[in-house]
Amino acid sequence: MFCIISFVILSILGIFSATNRALAREALDCVLRRVTLRPCNTGFDEKMKARILGTVITRSETAARLINRNFELLSWAFFILMLASSIWSVRGLYLFYTTGSCNGLNQSGFCVFDPTGANNEVSNVGGTCPAPEIAKMGVTLQDVRLEGFPVKNPQAKDKIVMIACYHCEYSRQTYPMIVDLVERYNTSFTFLHYPVKEKTDYYSRLGYCAYQQNPDAYWELNKLLFTTDKAILDAKTPFAPQASLGGEPAAGEEVEANLEFLIPAMNDLGFDAEAVVACASDPQTKSAVQAQMEEVIRTNFYGTPTVFINGTALVGPKPYRVYAILLKGLLYWLH
Amino acid sequence: MDLRKLRKDFPMLPEGGGKKPLIYFDNACQTLRPRVVIEAINNYYLKSSACAGRSMHQLSAEVTRGVDQARTQVAKFLNAAKKEEIVFTRNATEGINLVASSLCFQKGDSILIGDKEHNSNLIPWQMLARRYGVGVKIVPSRPDNTFDLEAFDRLLDSSVRLVALGHTANLDGVTIPAAEIIKRAHRAGALVLLDAAQSVPHRKINVRDLDVDFLALSGHKMLGPSGTGVLYGKYALLEKLEPFLVGGDTVASSTYTSCEFLPPPEKFEAGLQDYAGILGLGAAAKYLLDVGFDAIQKQEQALNEAISAELQTIPGLTILGPADPKLRAGIVSFYIEGIDHHRIALMLDQMANIQVRSGQHCVHSWFNARQIPGSVRASTYFYNTLEEAATFTASLKKIRKVL
Repeated sequence: MFCIISFVILSILGIFSATNRALAREALDCVLRRVTLRPCNTGFDEKMKARILGTVITRSETAARLINRNFELLSWAFFILMLASSIWSVRGLYLFYTTGSCNGLNQSGFCVFDPTGANNEVSNVGGTCPAPEIAKMGVTLQDVRLEGFPVKNPQAKDKIVMIACYHCEYSRQTYPMIVDLVERYNTSFTFLHYPVKEKTDYYSRLGYCAYQQNPDAYWELNKLLFTTDKAILDAKTPFAPQASLGGEPAAGEEVEANLEFLIPAMNDLGFDAEAVVACASDPQTKSAVQAQMEEVIRTNFYGTPTVFINGTALVGPKPYRVYAILLKGLLYWLH
Repeated sequence: MDLRKLRKDFPMLPEGGGKKPLIYFDNACQTLRPRVVIEAINNYYLKSSACAGRSMHQLSAEVTRGVDQARTQVAKFLNAAKKEEIVFTRNATEGINLVASSLCFQKGDSILIGDKEHNSNLIPWQMLARRYGVGVKIVPSRPDNTFDLEAFDRLLDSSVRLVALGHTANLDGVTIPAAEIIKRAHRAGALVLLDAAQSVPHRKINVRDLDVDFLALSGHKMLGPSGTGVLYGKYALLEKLEPFLVGGDTVASSTYTSCEFLPPPEKFEAGLQDYAGILGLGAAAKYLLDVGFDAIQKQEQALNEAISAELQTIPGLTILGPADPKLRAGIVSFYIEGIDHHRIALMLDQMANIQVRSGQHCVHSWFNARQIPGSVRASTYFYNTLEEAATFTASLKKIRKVL
């Protein structure tokens, strides 16, 4: 047992030191002898034992005596610990590969492969961006009505639903990956905008109206809103353009969108921008979007982006492979 | 002897303090080198790196002069009759092989050796036995590992051409009564070769007083450089010997079919020599004479007495050789029943930076015959201190308690 443990440890140390590399080779020789049922007669185990005892004896004779008497037992204990930690490490590696976290899907414990926890960070509902993910259970699409939300390829077998916010950096990071997956694997895609970062739901209303007017162009507008600099989106529109559209803002109301940018952009995408803007301010729209917001909240989501792939929730910006594996399995690249 | 001052001559020895200062107790394998030896080597490479005895230029002349002085120094060190009796070799092993290969043996001849010879003084004779049918007789030691003159006499018959014995055993430090052995061997018409690798560094050797025929030594065991050694031989005998290695610088002249060998020692020193090493060896011999063998033996004896006294209190520990430390020079070789000798050596190294030898010390024959796996050998030299000896014994006691 001792040879196996030594081989593993010395191999790791050998990356940094030539002395340990030589010892690792000796340990390997010893391991090979043992597994082929030959005695380990290289003296390696004796050498290492002497070194360990020689170091311990200078600190505590009692400890050295205990180690000497129970050396084989300790070797076994360390071997079992090493085996357990190896299994745990492999599990962590597998989970990291498949879920983006060593601890499992949407789990925020420390992960050595993702030490900053970036794969689980979200813009909290009602919080600031970035904010640490708070582990919550029960994020689900069950009993959530998705009718009325923008949807692409509704008949496809694989279904992706994304809750995102145009102003959330993590949503911006994730959105292109999701669009790529939708196009590559021809999945269904439902988009739920939830303004975790904005003070108003203006962009939700704008999207709602745009989708009503031109469902095809809506996805281009979505792409534009996710890729345009947030500073441009945040710029306040002076009163005049609103007035020029014939609408009269209510006293004290402030339009939380840069209409000077949006109107020409939407026109370029084939929308009747003025009609969309007017629709966004319509009380009926407000009421419909409010109902949609309540429906989104029914998913129990706690931050953006939240992506559902065939019903499984992924909270936070995951690596591309995580979404793809959930869609097509471990060998997703073969599809 | 001002030990503190002497220790300063050895760059590897710690001047004091430190967490685990080096304690070098493997002097029977090779000793440390004083600065004068290192400087002699350096000077050759830095200032006069050239061939000796061949070229006519100044550098060559300087090296030739240096090698000649070194030979004279070694001759003085051994009290040889003349410097031409000193043949430079790579080590004592080569010196013994030279004699084994150059003396003319015939079938029916025999060679007398001891029962605890280093492989260097065993294998060459075994090879002779295999090649020429020469007999190899082994003189058994007394139970305390000292030399048994009676057993020697019993084996010393007219067939014995050569008595080849280790002067001081590297196994246990026991020195044989060389003068008496040589007298009896000569009386029986045998030549005597002493393997003096372990004696020359520790006691004054006077080859003329001993009347020894051949004597081999290693430079690295007497403060000299590695890869240096000497074969002393009586000039008349050296003249009769056929050279062992032949080639460049061994002949005065040659034709396509014959050659005229140079007189000793040149005819035995084939090819370009290790001039730096020879110069270093000369410096080592001078250094040892300056320190003085009385002081060396006194210090070694004090160390051995201190170590032996403490070791005898450790349960299960057996010291190889006689109980009296005075009979074991600077060597304390021991084993502890049930504890692997290598483990003890490794632990001493790890816990206190004590360097000792463990194993069978190239005397496999002795260990195998007695079915003893090996021993730990602490071999001291004059630069070792009583404090180091105390650290060694205290560490060993700790190990015994733990294992």
